[in-house]
Amino acid sequence: MEYTYQYSWIIPFIPLPTPMLIGVGLLLFPTAIKNLRRMWVFPSVLLLSIVMIFSAHIFIQQINNSSIYLSVWSWTINNDFSLEFGYLIDPLTSLMLILITTVGIMVLIYSDNYMSHDQGYLRFFAYMSFSNTSMLGLVTSSNLIQIYFFWELVGMCSYLLIGFWFTRPIAATACQKAFVTNRVGDFGLLLGILGFYWITGSLEFRDLFEIFNNVVDNNEVDFLFVTLCACLLFAGAVAKSAQFPLHVWLPDAMEGPTPISALIHAATMVAAGIFLVARLLPLFIVIPFIMNLIAFIGIITLLLGATLALAQKDIKKGLAYSTMSQLGYMMLALGMGSYRAALFHLITHAYSKALLFLGSGSIIHSMETIVGYSPDKSQNMVLMGGLRKHVPITKTAFLLGTLSLCGIPPLACFWSKDEILSDSWLYSPIFAIIACSTAGLTAFYMFRIYLLTFEGHLNLQFQTYSGKKNSSFYSISLWGKEGQKVIKKNVTLLTLLTMNNNERASFFSKKTYRIDSNLRSMMRPFITISHFGTKNTFSYPQESDNTMLFPMLVLVLFTLFIGFIGIPFFNQFNQEAVDLDILSKWLNPAINLLHPNPNTSVDLYEFISNATFSVSIAFFGILIASFLYKPVYSSLQNLNFFNSFVKSIPKKIKILGEKLLNGIYDWSYNRGYIDVFYAICLTKGIRGLAQLTHFFDKRIIDGITNGVGIASFFVGEGIKYVGGGRISSYLLVYISYVLIFLLIYFLFSFNL
Amino acid sequence: MNDFPWLTIVVVLPISAGSLIFFLPHRGNKVIRWYTICICIIELLLITYTFGYHFQLDDPLIQLTENYKWIHFFDFYWRLGIDGISIGPILLTGFITTLATLAARPVTRDSRLFHFLMLAMYSGQIGPFSSQDLLLFFIMWELELIPVYLLLSIWGGKKRLYSATKFILYTAGASVFLLIGVLGIGLYGSNEPTLNFETSANQSYPVALEIIFYIGFFIAFAVKSPIIPLHTWLPDTHGEAHYSTCMLLAGILLKMGAYGVVRINMQLLPHAHSIFSPWLIIVGTIQIIYAASTSPGQRNLKKRIAYSSVSHMGFIIIGIGSINDTGLNGAILQIISHGFIGAALFFLAGTSYDRIRLVYLEEMGGMAIAIPKIFTTFSILSMASLALPGMSGFVAELIIFFGILTSQKYLLITKIVITFVMAIGMILTPIYSLSMLRQMFYGYKLFNAPNSYFFDSGPRELFVSLSILLPVIAIGIYPDFVFSLSVDKVEAILSNFFIDSFP
Repeated sequence: MEYTYQYSWIIPFIPLPTPMLIGVGLLLFPTAIKNLRRMWVFPSVLLLSIVMIFSAHIFIQQINNSSIYLSVWSWTINNDFSLEFGYLIDPLTSLMLILITTVGIMVLIYSDNYMSHDQGYLRFFAYMSFSNTSMLGLVTSSNLIQIYFFWELVGMCSYLLIGFWFTRPIAATACQKAFVTNRVGDFGLLLGILGFYWITGSLEFRDLFEIFNNVVDNNEVDFLFVTLCACLLFAGAVAKSAQFPLHVWLPDAMEGPTPISALIHAATMVAAGIFLVARLLPLFIVIPFIMNLIAFIGIITLLLGATLALAQKDIKKGLAYSTMSQLGYMMLALGMGSYRAALFHLITHAYSKALLFLGSGSIIHSMETIVGYSPDKSQNMVLMGGLRKHVPITKTAFLLGTLSLCGIPPLACFWSKDEILSDSWLYSPIFAIIACSTAGLTAFYMFRIYLLTFEGHLNLQFQTYSGKKNSSFYSISLWGKEGQKVIKKNVTLLTLLTMNNNERASFFSKKTYRIDSNLRSMMRPFITISHFGTKNTFSYPQESDNTMLFPMLVLVLFTLFIGFIGIPFFNQFNQEAVDLDILSKWLNPAINLLHPNPNTSVDLYEFISNATFSVSIAFFGILIASFLYKPVYSSLQNLNFFNSFVKSIPKKIKILGEKLLNGIYDWSYNRGYIDVFYAICLTKGIRGLAQLTHFFDKRIIDGITNGVGIASFFVGEGIKYVGGGRISSYLLVYISYVLIFLLIYFLFSFNL
Repeated sequence: MNDFPWLTIVVVLPISAGSLIFFLPHRGNKVIRWYTICICIIELLLITYTFGYHFQLDDPLIQLTENYKWIHFFDFYWRLGIDGISIGPILLTGFITTLATLAARPVTRDSRLFHFLMLAMYSGQIGPFSSQDLLLFFIMWELELIPVYLLLSIWGGKKRLYSATKFILYTAGASVFLLIGVLGIGLYGSNEPTLNFETSANQSYPVALEIIFYIGFFIAFAVKSPIIPLHTWLPDTHGEAHYSTCMLLAGILLKMGAYGVVRINMQLLPHAHSIFSPWLIIVGTIQIIYAASTSPGQRNLKKRIAYSSVSHMGFIIIGIGSINDTGLNGAILQIISHGFIGAALFFLAGTSYDRIRLVYLEEMGGMAIAIPKIFTTFSILSMASLALPGMSGFVAELIIFFGILTSQKYLLITKIVITFVMAIGMILTPIYSLSMLRQMFYGYKLFNAPNSYFFDSGPRELFVSLSILLPVIAIGIYPDFVFSLSVDKVEAILSNFFIDSFP
């Protein structure tokens, strides 16, 4: 059994040959490699499967006896200090290993089909395998420098993958934004690492924790400095996990191909921040301030993410904000000190969200053949609708993912989210109220996405009906013809949607030409299938291929059953709930602040009451969403109830409500004005600084040099003029000086 | 075997073989090119052979010494020798100059003179690194200026005369200070002039005199390094020079300044160095931020890269200023690492300029489809330049960070402030280098020109960029390649400090 541990250093290196071979091959023998194109998916999947088997083996051993295995090698020889590389296998690592490999394999299989028509197919697989490699390296690392090493590599992979379609200007800016934002986090991470190195003199986790505890116990170090360092370390996690001040990159990151959004920007890489905080929790737990900060950032993020997700038109951006909100939940759980709940939610959310993203990829894939390859169109929920009939399997999978994320009982996310919510009541009621209401918001926005996408009729058809009249291009409501009637009736509740459409229309009328030209130009490099099939003929979206459906189905299974690893099994008879669940057993040495004695705290009654509460909140959210976004013609019976409900409200409240809705919509649609604020403050600030220093450099520092040059030139010219070689001028100067001298002499002599 | 004058051969071979170019038959450029490349490769092999077989890594003393009396009446010796600090830069010189010669194959105008100058540069660069005599150091230092001036003023861009004049005025002006310093040290004290490094290293001077010497030498090296505010020759020079010249400038000449600071200022004038080191660190920190924030304002691609190398030189200065083992090792590693990265970036900028013939960044765009290989290598090297882990730049900068952190000379609060400001440079670096990438390659652009068909980089260009890339990655993964060369010597230099500073 020891062998598994001994050889587990190989884990990050197993998937490495694929990116290296593809990369070198593409540089040196491009044609030969490109001929083998589809072949390359097999080694990638195969190698990752080997890792999966390996980590499954470790996982089983960890369940049997959770031991921690550590091994290090020195990286640099230096007398003063040595950098070490090593690997650390503990429950947290094995959990992340399983997660990364399973989701990774599914996404690799999926993207074989998704990317099959893309010219960058091989490049995509190289990037993807490399990101898997660095992710595996990140979770197995045993010290902070190694974490930093892979942290940056993962960030680079994310940069490359977001900018995968580099001909799109939006993707180009998005990938730069992602990298720079992450670099701000890395800046904090590096400074934090250096600070802790200075405090403890060690970089290896377990030594670090031990020494640090001693140091803090003995009050040997300035507490302010320690807090500062911990905050800086946390900044790294904030950037990577898209928490509040540094979340701006995540929605833009959706410019990358959809499988990437599933793997990196939902399941693995963004979880790295959570992983880091979980890994360093023994360190943070000593400093109460930082724990409160973590919880606070978490609660801000979960609320912000949920509100921003309310009015997104782009299906992937909606999901991205939802990811951000769910990461906020995990951060909150970590800040509250319930380690187990955070990791549980990490697992369940990863599978559910990967499923949702793969589902949205499948939708986009089927829409693309009709509307063309612009993300503005193929990902636009305004143009979707009624896909239920055309893509039934995707619809089922997506629905299950949605339900799971909303927290509906038998599905995965329910168990973990419920745990976080019930823990939050123990922590602070205010936080708990925010967290619970956000659970309702989650249900609302997820069902909004679902209903807009799958229910009703394909809105694209309305677009083609009115295709000749440019003015009314997008003015038809999502709700169809009957919908317009409804709009007149109850404007209050429909503001969200109508605004949506108006915005759309104005956007298109301004920029139609530009987008079109863009599209046409982008066709050439990438696309082999002809687009705009809808110009004349009428076509419906098709269900995706089996290669794409299979991973989704596997993830559906995960979503259905992964929750059971954390379900507490109750022993009714002696009223003493015994934790038999795998997760608790597995994370045995984990920290739990809120339940000092886990055996007594969970009891059935409490559990059921909590669960009913959270489920009822979720259902409330779903109900509101279906009121607002359920297509009218399919549920006319609701309309009467609706109208009576609306009429019963007094007019003043109506107007107020309208204003409120408008405000929320504006806030959400403009991404909370945070991006604008950053653009004005930081981007312009840096540009201004660059201009200023450039000016200073050119005019002042260089100006002095050039000035000296010019001055010496004039002096030289002057001397040349004076020394022109005319005897008469020499004589003139000579005589005049003699005369002056004589004059002075005489003046003095007379004075004497 | 030790009597064999290996180093003399290494120094003299390129220039003497280069002067034979003028006697080659007139058979076109091809012969000259092949001849030059062969000489370069032979020289590189010779260097590696010498260092491989006649150099002991664990010996901190000067090895392969040669000592010939040259001019009798004032005791001037032809004194060569290498140690742990100079071996790295010499290998780097051999490597980069060979690749630069290979990169310069498209040069056809006056190729006889061009290739002679390249070979003269070869000798001129190895000379200062391997000389063990102050006056010889000065002579070699001056020797390498002339080829650069000619390369710049004949094969440069549009404003080449302005830049060449600026270059020569700056560097020659700095050489005056160097000469004053050399003569001052040589003539101090004893009756006979002492120009030997080893004897002068053991000599101590009055503090005031040492400070004056230090300032003199420092100005000379600060121009070459460059250190702000003496850097403005560099963007102009780099903006105008042919890219092979740029490779030499960025790869080796800038490192000569840093090498000079270690070799003369640290080794010969330790007292003054420990007085001035806080100022060095402050200047270095300002330089990192200043150059990194000037860089995004540059429209010219090469100038932008030039400012990035100014910014990276700041790290070297900080490493030298933090008088401890880690920091100095980091500085030496950064010398080597930036030698590779800077040279490669200029090479790639030059090759892409050859294709699109555009200088300003905002005119470019969408080149990734036309030239994917250059795009790939350019991306990788930009990543290396912004200190991505796994590349040499990261290790160097990390170790310099550790150096400043573990330095015993400074207070905690100063260390925090310095580290903080240095790390801000880490945020600014991706802003300029990635936006450079974005402006050049990303997006889409229709090239309206009738013959807008580009060749992607051919095997020669690919070879050059890959052979620079490999050591960058190798050092990044296993930095002991460089550390094993320099560790012992660094310790020897620093022991000198500790004896002096704690009497």
